[in-house]
Amino acid sequence: MIDCSQYRRAILANPHDTDVELAAHRDSCGECAAYTERLLRFEGKLERALRVQAPDAAKGGMVTALRPRHTPVARKWLALAASVLLGGGIAGALWLAAPHTSLAADVVAHMAGEPQAWTRTDVPVPAPELDFVLRNTHMRLLPDAGLVSYAQSCLFRGHRVPHLVVQTDMGPVTVMVLVHESVSKPTAFDEHGYRGTLLPVAGHGSIAVLAKDQSGNLAAVESVASRVRAAIDWTG
Amino acid sequence: MNDDSGGNTGRARFQALCQSLRPDLVRFAFWLSRDRALAEDVVQETLLRAWKARDSLKDETAAKPWFLTIVRREYARSFERKRLVTVDVDELIAKEEPMLAASQDQELAELRAALFKLPEEYREPLVMQVLMGCSTAEIAAELNLSPAAVLTRLFRGRKQLRALCGEDTSQDPE
Repeated sequence: MIDCSQYRRAILANPHDTDVELAAHRDSCGECAAYTERLLRFEGKLERALRVQAPDAAKGGMVTALRPRHTPVARKWLALAASVLLGGGIAGALWLAAPHTSLAADVVAHMAGEPQAWTRTDVPVPAPELDFVLRNTHMRLLPDAGLVSYAQSCLFRGHRVPHLVVQTDMGPVTVMVLVHESVSKPTAFDEHGYRGTLLPVAGHGSIAVLAKDQSGNLAAVESVASRVRAAIDWTG
Repeated sequence: MNDDSGGNTGRARFQALCQSLRPDLVRFAFWLSRDRALAEDVVQETLLRAWKARDSLKDETAAKPWFLTIVRREYARSFERKRLVTVDVDELIAKEEPMLAASQDQELAELRAALFKLPEEYREPLVMQVLMGCSTAEIAAELNLSPAAVLTRLFRGRKQLRALCGEDTSQDPE
């Protein structure tokens, strides 16, 4: 049996450690449970902090990814251009500073960290990469869902969740599988440039499906959401 | 990664793999170097080397650690090339302020600045774990440490980071 000090030492090293002894201690110790909750909140912020904006190489593929080295002069101009773009983006990003409480708002906020995911493409994410993201989720995605072009395992509200992008007729649509978040009924949202829906999944929390608002109307998003939900095969 | 008979499928798969991993590789290199421009150069060199050596990647599921190893080597090489000297952390923070404050979220900006101040021996395993999703064993293999040493660094790193951010650490173990 471990004590509080041992528990906190272990959980500080890995807040997502699923060791049964740690879980047993947390269940029996209210102070450590509260400590873990605070730590997971911090961990969520840490995850967001680390996800600084990265350049979008997806549009240009390897041509962009393997571009020639910048000269110092070119880099200066690039830096200037980046500053201008950042300045332009600040207004759009200001809403991030406001407190968000709803699940939909948190899902939308998460989108800001991964702009590279919204690429229209016919290149599927390699199957092993998708398998890697879906590991430990007790689910697999059937081909009926459509072409999956992006897959990441993201920290969301203290849990690792699959963040997928499915290519559809209306363009890229993001799917987040939220087994830890329950919703009582389908809930549509339309905010900050995203249209989407939260769908309950019996026994498995919910899924969030959303598209950029210029991609299509809410009915189209809901249709895609239903198709994706039906294409999830739960294995556990 | 082996090409098929025509080679196109293998190349396309490798390209897709690079595209999916590149954003996180740039982020990893950024937190390693604390320099956006250097991070992009390091990842560019990494992708070039990876492309040339793609046949040695036999298993796509091992792609992430494979790329991480190349990024770390390229970062080490950049030290050799540029003979970088120790610089003031506050200067680094000021230089990368647009990146650190990009979200206009003050709390996030402070956390990013605190990460800049975290010693590399703590920052690197923490970034590998939280951003790259590496397991303790994977970090240990990459950093040539024992799993116990990795856990100690992660514990100390998180503890120090929380203190730097003004979090209540009174209940943290020693």
